Amino acid sequence: MASFRKALKSRQRNHHERSQPGFREHLGLLEKKKDYKLRADDFHKKENTLAALRKKALDKNPDEFYYKMMSSKLQDGVHVPKRNDEVVMTEEQKKVMRTQDIKYVEMKRVAEARKIERMKGELHLLEAESKQKNKHTFFVDSKVKVESFDLANHLDTAPELVDRVFNRPTLKTLETKSIQGAVEPHSIMKMTRQRNHQYKILSQRIDREKKLFVMSQKIQTRKDLQDKNNKVKVKKETANIAAIYKFDTKRKR
Amino acid sequence: MRPGFSPRGGRGGFGDRGGRGGSGDRGGRGGFGDRGGRGGFGDRGRGGFRGGRGSFRSPEGGGFRGRGGGRGAPRGRGGGRGGFGAGRKVTVEPHRHEGVFICRGKEDALVTKNMVVGDSVYGEKRINVEEGDVKIEYRAWNPFRSKLAAAILGGVDQIHIKPGSKVMYLGAASGTTVSHVSDIVGPEGLVYAVEFSHRSGRDLLNVAKKRTNIIPIIEDARHPHKYRMLVGMVDVIFADVAQPDQTRIVALNAHNFLKNGGHFVISIKANCIDSTAPPEAVFASEVKKMSSENMKPQEQLTLEPYERDHAIVVGIYRPAPKQKK
Repeated sequence: MASFRKALKSRQRNHHERSQPGFREHLGLLEKKKDYKLRADDFHKKENTLAALRKKALDKNPDEFYYKMMSSKLQDGVHVPKRNDEVVMTEEQKKVMRTQDIKYVEMKRVAEARKIERMKGELHLLEAESKQKNKHTFFVDSKVKVESFDLANHLDTAPELVDRVFNRPTLKTLETKSIQGAVEPHSIMKMTRQRNHQYKILSQRIDREKKLFVMSQKIQTRKDLQDKNNKVKVKKETANIAAIYKFDTKRKR
Repeated sequence: MRPGFSPRGGRGGFGDRGGRGGSGDRGGRGGFGDRGGRGGFGDRGRGGFRGGRGSFRSPEGGGFRGRGGGRGAPRGRGGGRGGFGAGRKVTVEPHRHEGVFICRGKEDALVTKNMVVGDSVYGEKRINVEEGDVKIEYRAWNPFRSKLAAAILGGVDQIHIKPGSKVMYLGAASGTTVSHVSDIVGPEGLVYAVEFSHRSGRDLLNVAKKRTNIIPIIEDARHPHKYRMLVGMVDVIFADVAQPDQTRIVALNAHNFLKNGGHFVISIKANCIDSTAPPEAVFASEVKKMSSENMKPQEQLTLEPYERDHAIVVGIYRPAPKQKK
């Protein structure tokens, strides 16, 4: 019997919420249950918040003491912090702090530069596609030779290796010598993966070094601005360049 | 008080917690002034003369290293074991130029076979490869520092430096590239390394002490007659002098020492010749100058991405006359 009922169910039409009747169409789409639910939940949340706040205000003990009261006062019913007349930090102190900031950033930058240098010592961009291409010129004796010039032939290497610029072994080398070390495809794959990872780290470090440099320049500019000399802004600050100011020349004593 | 009860029983109470370092006769750990053997100043407690991190006996122990390398090479780990480690895997493929190899593993490096095993010249990495019983050590050759390495990786046709050849190297500086050239030519070859500056010449001398195939010459390359008694005929001249009249300098040395049909490899820095002209024009004018000095250029290669506005020119000196048909 149950299976019969299920079979019937599969044939019956799905229930749809009714849509806006034609004569009320000028009022827009008819609100559905899920829209109503969102609106109602939001309303109740606000209602509850208001109630809670109201209750808190009613429960408040006017004689209670808070430490904040010592450093703030009421002004037109709003709490404002009391003015502290003594300056927390002098210009001189700020300058010193800026200097320390610069020194720290500079230290980090130098450390980064050292690491880059070290990595470059073992990662020689063998197969990297660089933006700057080098240019190789061969000088030959006659025009006839220019026309009959064949790179693979001239270099005495296999035509497939012509594009492998970092090493184009001669035919003799290919015949007589062999590759040493790990040659199984499994370990070669693994090494390639490790190598690519190293290159990625290197590029990240180079990026970071550049950013640190920009950062220290920007702090330096801020520090220079603290002087009371006359200056004119020449160039706006961008993400990669600190702002450029022109300072009045002043005799140093 | 019973010993078991006291919170810090026999250790001496509050007063002197750092007692071992400061006043104790062992003078070792703990105190600030004298941190045991780690390269402190003056009185270092234990092991009076044991230099920094390496032991004195280790092949390249901290005591001997002294300077970090030619042009202030950063040296992260200092002494101890250099190199990539023997256990790690690398492939070493022979390069087009004999004596040069490409080493690929975690690293991606141009290398030469180290003639003085266990020694780094300027803080470069060393790579050990084991083939059965034979252990071979290679040294990474940094193309960002060496124009010759940059040219090799740029795909230069010939460097004319191979095992057994006699090379004259003008502008040897601290001997970083020279050490690799000496690796390539091997014990049968010779490298005459000419450098004018005394300061970098000192480093060059130190390199030459360990590599017997380098003959250091601290002399101005403009006056070859001053060292003519030291130098025999050579097969190839490599020049990295960065002087406006460098072609003349090379020509002078070629006339004196280069055999007929010998070769020259000149690295040109456009800025040093004429900083106002475009680099291509500078290279072209230099090539022209060479032709007038009996030096016939065969190829020219710029060194991007390793150097900007640099070129290497390779050619032949006084080639044998062509056979008439």
